[in-house]
Amino acid sequence: MSSTFHRFRGWILAWWLGMPLLCGAAEPHWAYQPLAPLRPPVRPETRHPVDAFVRARLDQVGLTPAPEADRATLLRRVSFDLIGLPPTPEELRTFLADPAPDAYERVVDRLLASPRYGERWARHWMDAAHFAETHGHDQDRIRTQAWPYRDYLVTAFNSDLPYARFIQEQVAGDVLFPTEPRATVALGFIAAGPWDESSLRDIREDTLDRQIGRYLDRDDMVTTVMSVVTSTTVHCARCHDHKFDPVSQRDYYALQAVFAGVERANRTFDVDPAVHVQRQALRREQRRVEQGDDTLLNSPEHLPRLIEWERIEAARVIPWTVLEPQILVSTGGATLKRLADQSVLATGTRPERDTYVLTTPLPSKTITAVRLEVLPEDSLPQKGPGRADNGNLHLTEFQVQLFEPGATQARELVLTEPSADFNQADWTIAHALDGQEKTAWGIHPQVGQAHQAAFRFKEPLTAPAGSTLVFTLKQLHGGSHLLGRVRLAVTDSTLPVHFLPEQIVRILGTPSDQRTSDQRRSLTFHVLAEHYRTALAQLPPPGMVYAAAADFEPDGGLKPSPVPREVKVLRRGEITKPMEVAEPGALSCVTSLPARFELANLREEGLRRAALAEWLTAAENPLTWRSIVNRVWQHHFGRGLVDTANDFGKMGGTPSHPELLDWLAVWFRDDARGSFKELHRLLVTSATYRQSTVPSQPAPTAQTDADNRWLSHMNRTRLDAEAIRDTLLWVSGRLDSRMGGPSDRQFDLKPGIHVTPRVDYTVFDVDSAEGSRRSIYRFLFRTLPDPFFEALDCPAGDQLTAVRNNSVTVQQALALWNNAVVARLAEHFAHRLAAEEPTVESQIRQACEQVWGRPPQPDEAADLVTFTREHGLPNLCRLLFNSNEFVFVN
Amino acid sequence: MNAPTPWIRSSRRDFLGRLGGGLGGAALAQLLGQEGLLAASPANPPPQIPKVRRVIQLFMNGGASQMDLFDYKPALFQQAGETFNPGAGQRIEAPTSEPGKILKPPFEFRQYGESGRWVSSVLPNLAQCVDQMAFLMAMESRTNVHGPGSYLMNTGFLLPGFPCLGSWVSYALGSEADNLPAFVVLPDGKGLPYNQRGNFSAGFLPVSHQGTVVQAHLPAPMADLKAPDAAAYITPAADRAGLDLLEKLNRRHAAATEGDSRLEARIQAYELAAKMQLSAPEVLALDGESPLTRRLYGLDNTVTADFGRRCLLARRLVERGVRFVQIWSGAGGPTGNWDNHTNIQKELPPMCAATDQPIAALLQDLRARGLLEDTLVLWNTEFGRMPFSQGSEGRDHNGGTFVGWMAGAGVRPGVAYGESDEWSWKTGRDATTTYDFHATVLHLLGLNHEGLTFRHNGANRRLTDVHGEVIQAVVAV
Repeated sequence: MSSTFHRFRGWILAWWLGMPLLCGAAEPHWAYQPLAPLRPPVRPETRHPVDAFVRARLDQVGLTPAPEADRATLLRRVSFDLIGLPPTPEELRTFLADPAPDAYERVVDRLLASPRYGERWARHWMDAAHFAETHGHDQDRIRTQAWPYRDYLVTAFNSDLPYARFIQEQVAGDVLFPTEPRATVALGFIAAGPWDESSLRDIREDTLDRQIGRYLDRDDMVTTVMSVVTSTTVHCARCHDHKFDPVSQRDYYALQAVFAGVERANRTFDVDPAVHVQRQALRREQRRVEQGDDTLLNSPEHLPRLIEWERIEAARVIPWTVLEPQILVSTGGATLKRLADQSVLATGTRPERDTYVLTTPLPSKTITAVRLEVLPEDSLPQKGPGRADNGNLHLTEFQVQLFEPGATQARELVLTEPSADFNQADWTIAHALDGQEKTAWGIHPQVGQAHQAAFRFKEPLTAPAGSTLVFTLKQLHGGSHLLGRVRLAVTDSTLPVHFLPEQIVRILGTPSDQRTSDQRRSLTFHVLAEHYRTALAQLPPPGMVYAAAADFEPDGGLKPSPVPREVKVLRRGEITKPMEVAEPGALSCVTSLPARFELANLREEGLRRAALAEWLTAAENPLTWRSIVNRVWQHHFGRGLVDTANDFGKMGGTPSHPELLDWLAVWFRDDARGSFKELHRLLVTSATYRQSTVPSQPAPTAQTDADNRWLSHMNRTRLDAEAIRDTLLWVSGRLDSRMGGPSDRQFDLKPGIHVTPRVDYTVFDVDSAEGSRRSIYRFLFRTLPDPFFEALDCPAGDQLTAVRNNSVTVQQALALWNNAVVARLAEHFAHRLAAEEPTVESQIRQACEQVWGRPPQPDEAADLVTFTREHGLPNLCRLLFNSNEFVFVN
Repeated sequence: MNAPTPWIRSSRRDFLGRLGGGLGGAALAQLLGQEGLLAASPANPPPQIPKVRRVIQLFMNGGASQMDLFDYKPALFQQAGETFNPGAGQRIEAPTSEPGKILKPPFEFRQYGESGRWVSSVLPNLAQCVDQMAFLMAMESRTNVHGPGSYLMNTGFLLPGFPCLGSWVSYALGSEADNLPAFVVLPDGKGLPYNQRGNFSAGFLPVSHQGTVVQAHLPAPMADLKAPDAAAYITPAADRAGLDLLEKLNRRHAAATEGDSRLEARIQAYELAAKMQLSAPEVLALDGESPLTRRLYGLDNTVTADFGRRCLLARRLVERGVRFVQIWSGAGGPTGNWDNHTNIQKELPPMCAATDQPIAALLQDLRARGLLEDTLVLWNTEFGRMPFSQGSEGRDHNGGTFVGWMAGAGVRPGVAYGESDEWSWKTGRDATTTYDFHATVLHLLGLNHEGLTFRHNGANRRLTDVHGEVIQAVVAV
C-alpha cells in the first residue's frame, strides 16, 4: 500500500520536475528520503541509543557482542582515534588505577579538549577535500598561502564549530559572514584541489583549451563540494544524465554555474574585523571607479580631492619630447618597424636573444633624462609589450651614446636613478643599469598594458645641433624575452621623475575650461583610482589565503571576471557542443528543497554560492546530515555504516543500519546542534565502540558476518602515516607542539628548469626545526609527495579521498625499515630511554609500554634483551617501530 | 569481442592489490590459495595466453614533432612560407602563440625498408628498424597543453589523480618476479617529466601499483632500499638479526589474533623486502654487460650514454620479470626535451641523437635474446606539433595529430595505421585516440579494457574512461 503510494509519488515528482525517469525506479532511493525522527529500539541491557540499534541487529542475525576491551587497549584505541597519538605510560597508569565509574568518559573529555584533537581531525577533512599546497599539473607551482586554510580547519575542529556553520563558511563564508575574517579563509576548501596553470593562466585566452580548462576546473569545485558534503556523484552527469542516480546533466551544469564567478587565487583577508569593514568599503568604491560609474563624476565628496590633486600634479608634470628614431637595427634578425607615433615595433624572426640599436637625432637642447616606454600591441603575444609567449620582456641593459657632428668616436653617457612604473618581483629596472648580463627588468604579470621606465643622465647633456643619440637595448636573458614595442623620449626637466599615463599628461596640459567631457571623465577616474589605491595601500597589510576568489590581483592570463562567466550545458560534455545557458541551482532529486535558486541578482556571484551553502545546510537536506555522521562513524569504526562515504547513490553501498544512520543524522542536526565533539562523545562511549577486537563465541563466520558488518566486535585498524610519524616523534621526546603557520618543508628545494621546483626528500635533516612538528604541518607537494608518506597510503591531494587505502606492500616495509625518519627517531628514542631508565630490562619495558601500550611478556622480554645486548638499543627501537603490534590498533 | 576478460575478479583484485608490492597476481594467488581466500572465484576462466608478457614504453616528453620525424608531408615543403589555410573557414589556433607561416621540416626524408616508411634524417638508426614497427600515424589528443596532455596519454584522463597505464597493468597482472616491483619508471637524468610523478601515479589504485622510480644516474637509485649511511648503528648483522626477531614477534602477535590476513601479509612483505634489497642492486649494476653490448647501447658516448643506460637497464628489468618499464626522454620545462617551440632545427636533433641509437639497440638486443617474442615496445609522446611556425623556426603544441609506434610481441610488423591531413595538422583517416591506443595495449596483454575496472568515488573507473577500440590493424594475427 505505502510502497505503491511512494512509487506513484516518485513518478509524479519526476514528471513534474522534468527529471530523467530511471528504468525501474520503483522505490525512491533511501538517501534522498526525508529524515524522520526515530526512536531507538527498547533494550533492557542498554540505554545507549547506538548500542540499542546495533544490538537489535545482532540479535536478528544471531550474533553476540564481544566483551569490552581491556583498559589498556581501550585507552590506546581512543587516544589514537581522537588525537592521533598514543597515551603516555603515565596516562596509562592513571587510567588503569582510576576506580571511578566515569574514568573512561573523563579520558574522552580530556582528549576532546586537547588541541591535538583538531590536528587529528582536520587531516581527515583535508583528505576529503584533496588539499595540497601546489597546483599539481605540469606547472606544479607552490601555493605559499594555502596553509591558512589548514589552520582554519584545525581551529574549527578545536573550537567545535557547528557543522552547518562549518559548511556555510567553506562554501560562501565571505558572503554570509562578511565581517568575520575566518569565514573568508574557509574558502580554501573550494580551491583545495589541483589547478591547471598552463591552461588557465598561460595559454592564449581565445583558445578552446582555455575554455575546456575552465569547465574542468569548475568540475573539480562541484565534485569536491558535492562529494564531500552530500555524498553524491554529480560528476558522473557531466557528459550525460547520471546513469544510475537521479542527477540530470542540467543539475550538474546548474552546480557549475554556482562557481562561475570564482577562480582559485590568493585572496586577502583582514585579521582585524574593523579593517576588514574599511577595506570592503574602499574596494566597493574602487570597483565603482573601475566600472566607470558616472555618478561619481559630479560627486561633491570628490571635488576637493580633484582640485588638490591637480594643484600638486600640475607642478610635477615632466614635459617629455618623443624621439624619432632614424636607424633601427636588431642584431638578432627581427624586423624593426617605426610606427606613426614614433614607437618601434618588432616583427618577423623572434630570436632567443636580441639587441636593438636605435639612432635618433638629439633635440637641440639640454637633456636631463630619458624615458623608455614599452607599449602593448595586438600582434604581440598576450598583446605584449614583450615578445615572450606570456607577453613579458627582459631588458638586460640600457645604454646611450652620443655622436657629435664630425666626431669619429662615440661618447658613453652615464645614466643613473633608474625608475619604472612597475617592476616584476626580482626583475627591477635597476637591473638594466647594473652591467650584469644575468639580471634584467621585467613586467610580468602586468602584461598587455603600457609601462614606463626612466633614467637620469648623471650630468645634464648639452651638445651641438646635429648630434645623434644611439640607444642600445640589450635583451640577453633568452627564451625570447624581447621588447615588442618601444618608444623613447627625453626631457630637460630637473623635476624628480614621476610617471603619469600619457593621456592624463595631455589633459593636464589643457586648460580646465577647454577640456572635453570625456577628458574630464578620464581625469576624474584616474584621480579616484589613484586615491583608492593609495588609501588601500595605507591599511595594515592583509592576510592572504589561497581560496576561491572573485576579486584578486590579476596574474598574467588569470584575471577575475567582473560578472560570473556564462556556463552552458555541454552536449556529451564537449566544449564544441554548447546548448542552453545553465542557471545556478542544485539537485532536483532533493525534493524538499527548490532545485534552482531564486537570486536577486544573477550578476552577483556571491549570491550563487550563498544559495548553495544554504541549500547544503538546510535542515531539510537529508543528504548532508546523513553524509557527515557516516563520515565521522567511518573514522571511529574503520568503516562507514555506508561503506562508500562519497557515494550514497544506487551504485554505492547501502546502509548496514539504516535506522541508526537516520537516528544519528537527526540527533546530530537537532540535539547536538552539529557539534562534532558531541558526536564523537556519543560514538566512543558506546559499548559497540568499546568492544574487544576478539569476537565472542560463536564467532561470526563467512556465512554470518565475515567482514563484521553487524559489529559483533571492534575492527582492528592500521595506523595511518601521520599517526606513525607523530608517534615516533612523540615517544622519542622530539615532538614540537607549535601549531599553525607556514608549512614545514621536509625536503630540499631548488629552482627547477621551469615552474616546478626540484624537490629532494632524501637530503632533509630529520633533526631540523622543520622536522619536528606534527605531520599535519608538513608541506604537501601534489605531484612530488613525500615517498615515506606515500608508501603509508597518505593521499597526494590529486583525488578526493573519502577513505584511505590500507595497503600492505613491500615498498611500505622498505620505507618503515630503512627511511631516514625511522632510523633517526629510533636513535632519539633510544637516547631518551637510556637517559630515563637505568637497566636494559627497564628500558625495554618502557619502550614496549610506549610503542605497544603494554609491557613485554617474559619470553618476549628475554628475546628483546638478548637482541639489545648484542645490537644496541637504537636497533631495538627500530624493530619495535616496525612491529605489527605498533602499526595496528586493537 | 574476442579479447579475454581480466581473469582476476574485482574482489580478488582488491585483496591482491592490498598485498601487492613486488609480489604479483599469480605468485600471490598461489601463496594465499592455501588460506582459501581465493577459492571463491571459479566463475572466471583462466585467460588465453597472451603473446605479450612485458612492456617497455619509451616516452618522448614534450610533444615530439611528427612531421619532422615520421609523418612526411610534401605539402609542407611546397607551401613553406605561405599562410596556413586549411580551407572551409576552419579555425586555426595555437595554444601559446600566434600562428605563423607554414614551416618546412628542416630535415630530409627518405623511404626505408620493405614497408617503405618515410623517416627523416635525424633518426638514421630507427629508420633501419621500420619493418619491425607498427605505426599509428594519426593519433589524436583532446588537448594542446602539456599537463592535461601528459595525463591523458598516461592515465586516460585530463585531470590528475588517475592510475597510469603501467599501474593498470601492474594491477591486472602483477609482477612475474617476487623480488622486483611490477612497474618501474626510469626518468631522464635531467629531471622528471611534466606532471612529475603524477604521470606514473597509481591514482586511486593501491599504492603498490605505482611506478617505482629508479634514478639510474644516482648513487642511491631506489628510495629506502637500504638504511641511510648516517645510521651507523644499523650494521648488516643488526639488520639481519632485526628482521629475524621482527618476524618472530609478528608471528607471535598474529597467532594471538586469528583471522586477520593483513598481519600475515605484513610478515610476507618484510620477507620480500629483504629479497628486493639483494636483487635490486644486482639488476641495476651494468658492469656485467659485455663491452659490445655497452657500445651497442651507446654507453661509450656522452650523447647517448644516459638514455642508453636506461634502455639497457630496461632490458635487464624485463629479463628478470618486471612487468612494465617506462623510460622517459626529456625533463619538464621549456628546453632540453621534445617541446621545441623556438627552433626545430636546433632543438630536435639533440633529442633524436640521444635516443636514436639506444632505442635501435634495445630492439636489436631484445630480439637477439628472444625477449621480443613476449615483450612489447612502445614509442610515445603526449601530442604532436603544428605545421606552421611559432616565432619563425619553432612549432607550437598540436593535439590534432601525432605519431606513435609499437614493436615486438603481438604487433603486426611493417604496417602503418591511419593518416593525418595534407599538412599533419589534424588526423585525416583512421584516427587513433589515446583511448584506442590504451585499449590496444591492454588487448595485446590479454586484457579487455572494458573489463579492467576499479570502483572509485561512485564510478567504475577504466583506463579508457567510456571510450576506446582495439586497433586490430596493428595486432598480429
